[in-house]
Amino acid sequence: MEEKILTKDFGVKNLFEIEVYLKQGGYKAVEKALTRMKPAEILEEVKKANLRGRGGAGFPAGVKWGFVPQNVGRPKYLCVNADEGEPGTFKDRYIMTHNPHLLIEGIIITSYCVGIHQAFIYIRGEYEAIAQRLERGIGEAGKKGYLGSNILGSGFDLDIVVHRGAGAYICGEETALLESLEGKRGHPRLKPPFPASVGLFQCPTVINNVETLANVPFIILHGAEWFVSRGLPKDGGTRIFGVSGMVKKPGIYELPLGTSLKRIIFDLAGGMKDGKKLKAVIPGGMSAPLLKADEIDIPMDFDSLVQVGSMLGSAAVIVIDEETPILEVLRSVAKFYSHESCGQCTPCRIGTSWVYKIVQRIARGQGEKDDIDTIIRLAENIKGKTLCPMGDAAALPILSICRKFRDELEACLAG
Amino acid sequence: MAKFFIDDRAVEVKEGTTILRAAEEVGIPIPHFCYHPAFAPEGSCRMCLVEIEGLPKLELACSTVVREGMKVHTKSPRVIEARQAVLEFLLAEHPLDCPICDKAGECKLQDYFEAYGLFESQFKEVKERRDKKVPISKNLILDRERCILCTRCVRFLDEITATRDAGVLHRGIHSEIGIYESEFIDNNYAGNLAELCPVGAITDTDFRFKTRTWFLEKKASICPLCSRGCNILIDWLPGFPRIPTTQRVFRIRARENPDVNKFWICDFGRYGYRYLDEDRQEKILLKKGGKDTELSWEKARLYLVEKIKSLLFMKKRSRLAVILHTWLTNEELFLAHKIFRQGLGLENIYIVDPPAGKGDGFLLTEERTPNSRGAREIGFSAVPLDLESLATTTDILLLFGSFLESRFSLADIQRAFDRIRTKVLLTPHKSGLDGLVDIVIPTLLVAEKEGSLTNVAGRVQTFTPALDNGGGLPEWKILLELAKELRVNYKYFWQLDSPLAVRREMAREIPFFK
Repeated sequence: MEEKILTKDFGVKNLFEIEVYLKQGGYKAVEKALTRMKPAEILEEVKKANLRGRGGAGFPAGVKWGFVPQNVGRPKYLCVNADEGEPGTFKDRYIMTHNPHLLIEGIIITSYCVGIHQAFIYIRGEYEAIAQRLERGIGEAGKKGYLGSNILGSGFDLDIVVHRGAGAYICGEETALLESLEGKRGHPRLKPPFPASVGLFQCPTVINNVETLANVPFIILHGAEWFVSRGLPKDGGTRIFGVSGMVKKPGIYELPLGTSLKRIIFDLAGGMKDGKKLKAVIPGGMSAPLLKADEIDIPMDFDSLVQVGSMLGSAAVIVIDEETPILEVLRSVAKFYSHESCGQCTPCRIGTSWVYKIVQRIARGQGEKDDIDTIIRLAENIKGKTLCPMGDAAALPILSICRKFRDELEACLAG
Repeated sequence: MAKFFIDDRAVEVKEGTTILRAAEEVGIPIPHFCYHPAFAPEGSCRMCLVEIEGLPKLELACSTVVREGMKVHTKSPRVIEARQAVLEFLLAEHPLDCPICDKAGECKLQDYFEAYGLFESQFKEVKERRDKKVPISKNLILDRERCILCTRCVRFLDEITATRDAGVLHRGIHSEIGIYESEFIDNNYAGNLAELCPVGAITDTDFRFKTRTWFLEKKASICPLCSRGCNILIDWLPGFPRIPTTQRVFRIRARENPDVNKFWICDFGRYGYRYLDEDRQEKILLKKGGKDTELSWEKARLYLVEKIKSLLFMKKRSRLAVILHTWLTNEELFLAHKIFRQGLGLENIYIVDPPAGKGDGFLLTEERTPNSRGAREIGFSAVPLDLESLATTTDILLLFGSFLESRFSLADIQRAFDRIRTKVLLTPHKSGLDGLVDIVIPTLLVAEKEGSLTNVAGRVQTFTPALDNGGGLPEWKILLELAKELRVNYKYFWQLDSPLAVRREMAREIPFFK
């Protein structure tokens, strides 16, 4: 049985209350970091731990923090990306619901490391109850002196603000998140410049996913080597896999990086539900190209999935069974991206809508013989040409569905 | 300086120049919709994608800064494909309005499709239907189906007028441009939006449905309606054989000048062009005994010269008065000064201009004439005109322009004029003064002349005729011929035969005009 890190204490009743959390050994990482370590030491440790971002992009957290310029005469900010918009992803809500103080600890240590005194948690508006739980936790932490001025006598100040989103997937994209946090329309920005140098209110900003930051206290407590040993050499630690779809035991599973996808579905998640047969798996959230039933014998880590033309993304495993028409899958995908497109750039705004219109027409029984080729051509025209990665997030899954299940889609066409 | 390669050409540009600007500098056009030199790069239309060797994805030319050794390709197969992709997307949801759209002929979507597209449409779905006649200001109508969401209009109202009237509403394919309900765009620069819009989404009701852009000639001129001297383009209809046209000038547009008006003109200048065609004097008329006799210029000149000569002979030159205005060019004011002040030694030289208005803090000045500064630099000073004293001291009045009517009542003017023996009116426009003078000579407007004007900041701007003259005479020609006929310093004036020659003299004599 794999050792759990993040979800180890999830079974403890009322873990979200600070008294319970403290009894479980909580805030010891903060004490160690703020009173016995220097920021440069923490940065080194996190870099050595090879902690990669768990939001989807997988960028090494330590490297990102290292990009932040010190002494620029402007405040620095930390934004926690709790938008969790990627379809199929629900791991962050579990962390924030069951162990909000773990996240708060991660925020404190990260901020101390980079020299940040104001952190924002950008949480999707739909998570209202969770936002309140976070606010409560922040209040508790403040009362105990883990937030506010001169934390634990270290001379370090930090405040955390919880900011609710308003229902846009695109606000999970880091620069759109910044725009939304600034009170503007959630339109992604051109990069460069990158948020590490020009971010929130034009100040240097670190943006990290909830799960990424939740790992930081453990790196501080047990060291980088320990963290790496729990995963892969280039990919330290565990991932919380969110399994959904036609399996007996959907839910979150914290496993080391490199765990086999086949094992996750058929062993840990109990296998297919109601005796259904496996048709396809989306391995890393809906933006990840899907895998056919015969392609799932692979280790779940960043590089292995890239090699088969997909991605680890948010580690959200969506299991699709034989009885689900692939056209329905395509329609779901197309509808989602068309609905969530921010509309700023031409290919995504019009391309996602055009693809959805074609799929709807096919679903109405009016598909024509060149429609699949058209969809593929449009997706290729979106890919690589958009202002932000959402264009690729839309194009790649659509391409994988059309290419891997072409026969089934062609059978839906009228003439 | 940074040296880079574009389409295998080595080019050196200033540090910090973007690929798009650098390409423009060497005459390589890179298509774009959302980019405009007045604003920071937006990067949303994706039309300007180019290939940079060594980078996996295509990059935006509008926002990518040139780096030393960079190798850019603007015509590679990937770039051509990308341009077609963007065009195809835009056209998929664009209405087939060309036959009824005013922008036809100057529409970027049309131009780029012709240059980079020319493919068959493969869009079989139902296009988005949107509002097509949304009034957004007194003169402007927004057609949301045509809009390609380049957001130039939004950025103009945010950054240039800072009135923040417009924004993008909704999301994704349902995005549309909107203003605050019932809060019309109401500033003196709204007209620029119709020019700024790369397609026919924002159209101007002043121009809507009146003609086609390819029927119009566009000529450069300077706007004379205030002292800013904005550079303009006059779009006018040369006409068709045997078909009478209702108007000559159809539109004024801005002409780029980074030192004067940048990319813009104000609405006062943009929509105030009717003076070019309306109420124009057509013939030289001698008004005697209740009858109007048409004269040739030679006869009219003879009449003038005879009258003035007799005054000079009688040693009564002080009873010749001249009223000028500052719509006259530098050359004309210089000639007037040389002839009347220096040559004839006249004292009663006045300048009567239309009344000042309110400046708008940007381009429109309080002064509503183009050459007030020029008049000052040439040596004229503001002498207040008193009609009473004019009447008692004047036998012959040379009145340039009809602005007297905007300063005094016709009744007062008539009372004064009744006591002046000979009144000569040299003006481009008909007015109530016509009935009060003895001879009317049609002159030309700035748009029809050659010359220069000095703007409020002291910038001398030269211009050539943008419109054919309607049978009038430019004042510089009238003054030169008068000078020669009156033998006022003949040796000096005989060799001046054009505004250019006059300007050379000005440069010699007045340091300001060097």
